[in-house]
Amino acid sequence: MAVTKIVVDPITRIEGHLRIEAQAENGRISDAWASSTQFRGIEIIMEGRDPRDAWAFTQRICGVCTVVHAVASCRAVEDALDITIPPNANLIRNLVHGMQFIQDHVIHFYHLHALDWVDVVSALEADPAATARVARSISPWPNNSETHFADVKERLRTFVAGGQLGIFTNGYWGHPAYKLPPEVNLLAVAHYLEALDWQRDVIRLHTIFGGKNPHPNFLVGGMACAINLDDTGTINAESLVDIQAMIKRAQAFVEQVYWPDLLAIAGYYKEWGAIGGGVANHLAVGEFPEGDVGDLDKLYFPRGIILDGDLTTVHPYDHEKVKEYITSSWYEYGDGDAAGLHPYEGETKPKYTGPPPPFDYLQGLDKYSWMKAPRYEGRPMQVGPLSRMLVAFASGHPDVVPMVNEVLGRLQVGPGALFSTLGRTAARGMETVLLARRMNTWFDQLVGRIRSGDTSTFNGDHWEPSSWPATAQGYGYLDAPRGALGHWVQIRDGKISRYQCVVPSTWNCSPRDGEGQMGPYEAALVDNHPLVRPEQPLEILRTIHSFDPCMACGVH
Amino acid sequence: MTGATVEPRTERLPREGQYQWVGIWGLPLRMMHWVAALSIVVLAVTGLYIGKPYFIAGGDTASHFLMGWFRMIHFVAAGLLVVTAIVRIYWLFAGNRYERWRALVPVRPKDFRNMLRRLRSYVMIRPEDEPKYLGHNPMQQFSYTSLYVVAFVQVLTGFALYGQSNPGGIFYGMLNWVGPLFGGMPVVRFVHHIFTWVFAIFIPIHVYLSVRADILEHGSVISSMISGGRIVAVDDEFEDE
Amino acid sequence: MFSPASYPWAEGVSLGEHLEQRGISRREFLDFCGGLCVVLGLSRSAVEGMATALQAMKRPSVVWIQLQECTGCVESVIRTAEPTIGNLVLDLISLDYSHTLMAASGHAAEEALHAAMQENAGEYLLIVTGSVPLNDDGVYLTIAGRTAKTILEEAAVGAKAVIAVGACAHWGSVQAARPNPTGAVGVAEIIKDKPVLNIAGCPPIGDVVTATVAHYLTFGRLPATDGDGRPLFAYGARIHDQCPRRANFDAGQFVEEFDDENARKAWCLYHVGCKGPATFSPCPIFQWNDGTDWPIGAGHPCLGCTERNFWDTMTPFYGRLPDVGGFGVERNADLIGAALAAGATAGVAAHAIATGVHQARRKRELPVVERPVGGGTAPNSPSSGKE
Ligand code: HEM
Ligand code: HEM
Ligand code: NFV
Ligand code: SF4
Ligand code: SF4
Ligand code: F3S
Ligand SMILES: [Mg+2]
Repeated sequence: MAVTKIVVDPITRIEGHLRIEAQAENGRISDAWASSTQFRGIEIIMEGRDPRDAWAFTQRICGVCTVVHAVASCRAVEDALDITIPPNANLIRNLVHGMQFIQDHVIHFYHLHALDWVDVVSALEADPAATARVARSISPWPNNSETHFADVKERLRTFVAGGQLGIFTNGYWGHPAYKLPPEVNLLAVAHYLEALDWQRDVIRLHTIFGGKNPHPNFLVGGMACAINLDDTGTINAESLVDIQAMIKRAQAFVEQVYWPDLLAIAGYYKEWGAIGGGVANHLAVGEFPEGDVGDLDKLYFPRGIILDGDLTTVHPYDHEKVKEYITSSWYEYGDGDAAGLHPYEGETKPKYTGPPPPFDYLQGLDKYSWMKAPRYEGRPMQVGPLSRMLVAFASGHPDVVPMVNEVLGRLQVGPGALFSTLGRTAARGMETVLLARRMNTWFDQLVGRIRSGDTSTFNGDHWEPSSWPATAQGYGYLDAPRGALGHWVQIRDGKISRYQCVVPSTWNCSPRDGEGQMGPYEAALVDNHPLVRPEQPLEILRTIHSFDPCMACGVH
Repeated sequence: MTGATVEPRTERLPREGQYQWVGIWGLPLRMMHWVAALSIVVLAVTGLYIGKPYFIAGGDTASHFLMGWFRMIHFVAAGLLVVTAIVRIYWLFAGNRYERWRALVPVRPKDFRNMLRRLRSYVMIRPEDEPKYLGHNPMQQFSYTSLYVVAFVQVLTGFALYGQSNPGGIFYGMLNWVGPLFGGMPVVRFVHHIFTWVFAIFIPIHVYLSVRADILEHGSVISSMISGGRIVAVDDEFEDE
Repeated sequence: MFSPASYPWAEGVSLGEHLEQRGISRREFLDFCGGLCVVLGLSRSAVEGMATALQAMKRPSVVWIQLQECTGCVESVIRTAEPTIGNLVLDLISLDYSHTLMAASGHAAEEALHAAMQENAGEYLLIVTGSVPLNDDGVYLTIAGRTAKTILEEAAVGAKAVIAVGACAHWGSVQAARPNPTGAVGVAEIIKDKPVLNIAGCPPIGDVVTATVAHYLTFGRLPATDGDGRPLFAYGARIHDQCPRRANFDAGQFVEEFDDENARKAWCLYHVGCKGPATFSPCPIFQWNDGTDWPIGAGHPCLGCTERNFWDTMTPFYGRLPDVGGFGVERNADLIGAALAAGATAGVAAHAIATGVHQARRKRELPVVERPVGGGTAPNSPSSGKE
């Protein structure tokens, strides 16, 4: 069979503008290129700004993971200016970031990823009674009744019969890679709709602490939401009760809907435990400081590195070893394009050398993406939920180890199956469950502190620029829903002189480096990867979506 | 030379020579001057509080209206300033030769030369040689005209800011082009704020020079802006006679 | 939200019939229309008309294109409130193209776009999020190998109306902040031959978007706007004039530093940089996320995110005045202004002394008398004056 050239642009149901090109032979992918086709230049825009404003600018890198750049930015500036935030502020940030994870992961599963596995049209053949039986066998969720599923099915029938398919137009319905029985498809469709309502409820936690979502407000030195139990306009008992109820509803949905659905669907797609592993180096910078951000022993998800899929050793992470390359990216460096620059020396100088639009192909070109290529000691690294779970598992994390073992047992696969498309999707579910539970701990700690009289949420010691050194630099780490994130800031005379971000999707969507090493998306697409119908690239979507791409993040 | 129009009063005069009291500033102009001076001082003081409220009212909210008062006074003074502006504009055409618009713009080449001579005399180099004007000397023309421009900008930006609170209202309707012109309302506010310092710098210099001129020129501390006229030696020659 | 399947409304069926099938009574529906009228600032007399118009409605096609953006605006629309009846409003449309939600990718997605544009030519509603980079021939954003500008121009041709959602589509937002490396501009800079409605904000409140769409569908035209193309029903009033902390502002009660005693009393945030006095936005009235709260309500000053160029004109965010030209107004300009004023006063004093010395010398030569003056000539005879 001849080589088929494939272009998938736009990749939909992701954040941003991603173009995948590939070559396929005999139903398998033989080569792949991941290209991000949007550039905004936010690192350049940061220069000359007030470091205390940086969180708001960098937050607009992404409105999907809307919390993470703001927090990473605050941490970078706080690191540079030697600011320690009050414990309450850290707990509030954990709660806000935790809810971000939970909401983001659920939306990803149902609204961005599910249609890769769930054939909406097939759900029309489902028997609602059978669906209810399946649903009740896996979960006590109260909505899992026959009438509810019959209702959903009826709505779907009217909708499809109407002929206006809206967002479902031209889906790859009927593709042979869809394996779910109609009942499970109907179950997933019903929960697709429920999740839409659920997500906008639980995210209100952001509104209480940060005034809005997307893009809640943060503050260098802590949080702006003052706590005063005796005022109507502050965090008080009423808001705390609301938050607690939200956490409970989040946890219930995650434990009773998301997680059982994920396991049920995964059971039909076990072969995807051997597909799309790709880069086997995994990096987690760790997240959810339960003490000071500098106290790495108190991160709920630990920091560390796994190399070559070897789970027996967790290597330490040192941010000084991160370098970004632009061999295949549309930038130039002062010292030549072969150089690798640590973010403290980082440069962002766009220089497009691709074909003038409109164009047909980028594959084969030396430079083909706006994404830079970060490497750790020269190695491409995969980041994200899977990396976090692997590092935690290999570190013997008391909550993660039993969780991973339970999943492997339920699906009857070995740990090797984790390094796969299915592994990424399963790991995302695992950490969501763990976080939904952990939220209660942080909430209780916050309430406990308030009860003991500590209501402080802000440290203003170094708020005034007059208290800053003439030059300073700082590193803000954070493990975001999509993986390891770093912001590096340099400050001179009260203004930002350099700002560099290396983002989860920069790691995962990185193009080839000078050594020709592929980035994780690309490597995953050529790792034992099927593609049955090149004109309906469903399998490509499965693997790419399993990373939960965010291009606005990655390029910024 | 025009004769006196105002009541005589006690003055300190040089012992020798022929002197004459000359009326220069009509009552409308003088009234306008003092009302404007007062409102500008009030506007600057209240404006600087509005810009940075240093005093904070403690206690319960209902019993205080600190910022409210400052703003209210600012707006009342703003209204007064506009009234004076109207009077002054009318008087640019209705006033005497020292009050008309021509007297506020240094246009002749001689005026520019005299401006330098005047400056020189201020640093006390050959003050005897300074050019004599009955009305505004070119330095004054220049600085007063500039000040009128600054005041105009303050009124414009001020009312544009004021209009924001009532988008259906007359000021908003009339002045909603000001924001885009400056590049956004924050820039309008910025200009309004910065220009306040022009007054803060002008006032001490101006008051000093006026008092000084009174003393030096006819030995008096009662300004021509009160009496309306000056006492000058009969044989003095004036550039703007 | 945009979930056509949530309460699907089939083609050929009017909304009235659809509601009936769903068991929604006319009373409930009128209530809903009444609520909508309140949001849109219409009088009660408009309710009947709205109900009739909405009930006769067929699902119109909506094409949503996403350009240079962060997807925050899409997320915001996904958060719109009103659980059941809100679904209804959104079921008013057939969302035929949407990167974030659509099932198809690549060629199949582009086919869906072109089919929607062809089949509904002259009829579809075009929603745009994101800006258009113009520098270097638009290479900073391509989709399917084509530039944002091409895509937008093509999509606008057959659109009945264009709604630019969010600061990016409005004027470029963060990527258009100084020095705007990609030359990002808003939709109205490209589409000049038809009105572009700007739903301002970074992001805007999702409900403003849905209310605008409802307005358009009900009345067949876009709502009235201010000079910047923003619908008056949402952007007609200034935050500062609607703010619950306004009483503290008027009283002179300000937060001086975050988390101080005054912050814990929810006092006014003017001192710490609130841009409410320069910002037209429905935040204090509509509030965010199902009426939960809003930025100032949660203790953070408003950033002015509904105003054009706010990244440059409203920064530094924690200062009261913009940092025009990187000068640092509050730190430098006031300092310089005060120094100059003080300098002028000091200079004046020095000059007065110098003049005094100078005069002292002259006075000896030119004695002075004190006496009344008449209108004419000064008397020649020396009086018995002090000197
Ligand atoms: C806020 C304070 C003040 C402001 C803004 C101000 C402004 C002005 C302006 C704009 C003029 C020009 C009038 C015209 O021809 O249109 C003027 C003239 C004058 N002002 Fe003031 N003034 C202030 C205070 C004072 C004070 C306190 C004095 C007296 C001690 C004074 C004495 C005079 C005199 C004598 C003139 C006439 C100057 C001349 O000889 O040509 N001013 N002032
Ligand atoms: C000599 C004339 C004036 C001076 C020196 C002056 C000074 C000031 C200053 C310093 C501020 C504070 C600016 C800031 O930092 O935000 C201010 C605010 C303001 N001024 Fe003036 N001003 C003058 C005339 C006017 C006029 C004629 C108006 C017309 C109504 C006006 C209306 C305002 C308004 C509306 C504000 C903002 C108050 C608020 O938003 O609460 N000003 N002024
Ligand atoms: N990649 C990425 Fe983000 C996340 N999670 C960033 O830090 O999505 Ni927009
Ligand atoms: S306007 Fe703001 S929230 Fe919306 S896409 Fe642009 S940057 Fe994101
Ligand atoms: S908090 Fe902001 S908007 Fe509210 S009254 Fe104070 S300055 Fe105005
Ligand atoms: S920042 Fe934006 S969200 Fe509202 S309160 Fe200010 S307009
Ligand atoms: Mg970067």
